[in-house]
Amino acid sequence: MAYSFPDDVLEHVFSFITSDKDRNAVSLVCKSWYEIERWCRRRIFVGNCYAVSPGIVIRRFPDVRSVELKGKPHFADFNLVPDGWGGYVYPWIAEFSRAYPWLEEIRLKRMVVSDESLELISKSFKSFRVLVLSSCEGFSTDGLAAIAANCRNLRELDLRESEIEDLSGHWLSHFPDTFTSLESINMACLGSEVSFSALECLVARSPNLKTLRLNRAVPLDKLSTLLRLAPQLVEFGTGAYSAEIRPDTYSRLAEAFSCCKKLKGLSGFWDVVPSYLPAVYSVCSRLTSLNLSYSPMRSPDITKIISQCHNLQRLWVLDYIEDVGLNALALSCKDLQELRVFPSDPYVVDANVSLTEQGLVSVCKGCPKLQSVLYFCRQMSNSALFAIARNRPNLTCFRLCIIEAQAPDYLTFEPLDAGFGAIVEHCKDLRRLSLSGFLTDRVFEYIGTHANRLEMLSIAFAGDSDLGLHHVLSGCDSLRKLEIRDCPFGDKALLANVAKLETMRSLWMSSCSVSFGACKLLSQMMPRLNVEVIDEQGYSDAEADSCLVEKLYIYRTVAGPRIDMPDFIWTMDQDRAYRLRNRPSS
Amino acid sequence: MSEPDVIKPEMMRSYIWLQTADGSIQQVEQEVAIFCPLICHEIHAGMGSSKTYPISLPARVNPVTLSLILDYCRFHQVPGRSNKERKSFDEKFIRMDTNRLCELTSAADSLQLKPLVDLTSRALARMIEGKTPEEIRETFHIPDDLTEEEKLEPLKNITDDPRIRLLNRLYARKRKELKEKEKLKNVEVEAEHVDDRSVDELLSFINGENGDSKEVKTAKNKKKNRRRKDQQKNAPVCTISNSSSSLNNSTKASNGISLVGHDDRVKDHCLPNINELLKLQDSEDDRFGLEDEFDDCDIGDGIDPEIKEQIDREVEDFARRLNSDWPERVQELLSLGQERRPSLYTVNGNGCSARRPSSTGLEKHEK
Repeated sequence: MAYSFPDDVLEHVFSFITSDKDRNAVSLVCKSWYEIERWCRRRIFVGNCYAVSPGIVIRRFPDVRSVELKGKPHFADFNLVPDGWGGYVYPWIAEFSRAYPWLEEIRLKRMVVSDESLELISKSFKSFRVLVLSSCEGFSTDGLAAIAANCRNLRELDLRESEIEDLSGHWLSHFPDTFTSLESINMACLGSEVSFSALECLVARSPNLKTLRLNRAVPLDKLSTLLRLAPQLVEFGTGAYSAEIRPDTYSRLAEAFSCCKKLKGLSGFWDVVPSYLPAVYSVCSRLTSLNLSYSPMRSPDITKIISQCHNLQRLWVLDYIEDVGLNALALSCKDLQELRVFPSDPYVVDANVSLTEQGLVSVCKGCPKLQSVLYFCRQMSNSALFAIARNRPNLTCFRLCIIEAQAPDYLTFEPLDAGFGAIVEHCKDLRRLSLSGFLTDRVFEYIGTHANRLEMLSIAFAGDSDLGLHHVLSGCDSLRKLEIRDCPFGDKALLANVAKLETMRSLWMSSCSVSFGACKLLSQMMPRLNVEVIDEQGYSDAEADSCLVEKLYIYRTVAGPRIDMPDFIWTMDQDRAYRLRNRPSS
Repeated sequence: MSEPDVIKPEMMRSYIWLQTADGSIQQVEQEVAIFCPLICHEIHAGMGSSKTYPISLPARVNPVTLSLILDYCRFHQVPGRSNKERKSFDEKFIRMDTNRLCELTSAADSLQLKPLVDLTSRALARMIEGKTPEEIRETFHIPDDLTEEEKLEPLKNITDDPRIRLLNRLYARKRKELKEKEKLKNVEVEAEHVDDRSVDELLSFINGENGDSKEVKTAKNKKKNRRRKDQQKNAPVCTISNSSSSLNNSTKASNGISLVGHDDRVKDHCLPNINELLKLQDSEDDRFGLEDEFDDCDIGDGIDPEIKEQIDREVEDFARRLNSDWPERVQELLSLGQERRPSLYTVNGNGCSARRPSSTGLEKHEK
């Protein structure tokens, strides 16, 4: 500006700019904006905890109140990342405890969190409010007890999908009687029973409680007690939804549900006894989110519920819903934006339920706002994919998982190249794509050409040659994360596209055809990439260059080489003296 | 008898005198001026009641911005207005060019007029959101003083790698040739292909004489040019095209490709080993100097798989000849690539996780 703008005014303008992307853009405008912005940035997101170090973050952003960190790569969900790989949060917490006394929120995904880390969190941050541990591991209920006991201003505790050493349910009782600020608690992944009276008291003294997700151990007959104490709930997850059929239990439950006028989301429903399902009918019309993916409910019961959920926006369900249920969904839920259908039994070859590609096509045709799809099925055809692409060009996320690897179009026996090609061609805003079925290099040509907004791509058992990978790496302008397993992609495509790797967050390749020599070369060429060769059989330094690597994880970083790697990871720096051979105590 | 000439005391308004940094002095109704905290403070301190003792406004307030601020105050100081009215006024008020908006924000801040500071700041924030750093600089006329290093720019020109371009070009050319062969075959074989064009259209198409066909060509050229501008790289563009443009381009294509079609020449002049090739990542000039010619690939299927294999083999052959120092390894890798992965799909994973039934419910869901 030809005009001098006082810093504090500029800072005030920046206070209205909150998205990470915009903040990052602001910081790159000029030196003075960079300076102003870094002092007033309150929230940071680190997509790969090894891309930057805590020291660098703290030096740049002196006053952060909210941190989000992600650790292991996504394929860790399929047990492809060996135990001990890394993703330890303790070093971060240790430095934050010194630098950010006013830290309020910590959100972690796929990180290793120890009890010690949790204790440190509970004692270091006086205004601590939000703890979200998504798919994390390494801690026990003792760590949770520390959080409960010490975080006086806690508002949110969300343990979604984490693997927790469940020593006892006693941790919940550590919330002091004076603790009344709870707004959201998700303990669905825990196994052991918590003291019901402690839970009851906690709910009773939390007037701001909006989200309550119970674990399986909370029995059905206790639900009405809790609901009556918290009629203001917006999200509720039941425990095991089964009990002996008793009219008074039923009527109490139905009445309790009907008092929850603000309820918009339901989940849980383990072990369903169908006779109790009508108790939730009174809330169906207000529901926007329904998660039945833990529920053995069968198609007729599911259908009865969703037919009443005219405002439903998000549905997660098992394939028990079947095509017939999906047809009902397409008719009743015109506001549907997200659908996830998980397999009830992925390990049998033959279908155990009557769910085919037709169900998905039906929903895609019937639900005009559908943007995000995750679908497991056992058969697919190019014509179904064409129909999906034509009907839903507004898809932003399309993840298709045909259970049998390399299954072709079941009608024509052709590859599914053309079908997926149609998807990327029509869905111009597609940001996430997972492929499956029988696919040749051709599909990657389509993807490289058309998928300009694609940010994340997952590939398994696909392609014929390096050309496939080359198409993706030389195209896909917006690609950030690429994960590949069991594909015949090798050195050529990788080495011909080295520069692309620095524009991405990470690349995972396992059971492909990349050689050790190529990895070495890549490491030499690109100092700002960490090239991790992972082989649980262990590497010797005398490994022949022509050997193929088992697993390869490449990511850009400004933090330099890792110092916390286990033995089974090879990197260029592994021979240097300072590399610790032991996992740090955390 | 009426007394229209009597001036009632309530009708007498008091005025405040304000002076901007350039020396000019303005007179403003008191109830409007006191809406600004700074001015209000000065009035209480006894200033501004006469022309000789005007309130000096901070330097950041010039006459134009003062006038805008006073308009704002004049509207909002009226107590009876509804929220809807105020919001509507604000929305219209805020529409001005960037420079003016910046000046106004700054001036409002110096006068401590918080509601206006918030309004203008939000408007500025909206102008910043969604833009790249370069766009923001353009909007606010800010010079770029960050170094490349500071910005951590990734390596530029990621697709100037000659190998990538070669591979792409060869593959695209092969497929195009094949398509043309197929089309020629089809013209003879498929009698049922319906051509809806009139005889006139066909004649003019063939003769390339009249305006219609020229327009068609121009439109196609425009489309090509725009695509070239949009595309910054040489990814094979698979768009549907008709045979006319591919015929137009085939000569260009063969001329272009002939440069690289001669293996010996390529080997002598342009065939680096892989290390050198990778060093070329940073170089700006395109060694092969060819333009983008992929406008005419057909996305459709219909190529005989055997022939497709032949293309793939030829491409790989060529690529292999590029890698003159590790031919055997490439052979190995290629043959590995041809194998089908046999087995069983174990723990699903093409990016869609499935849960394993477990009694503790600790299953992992797809995120």
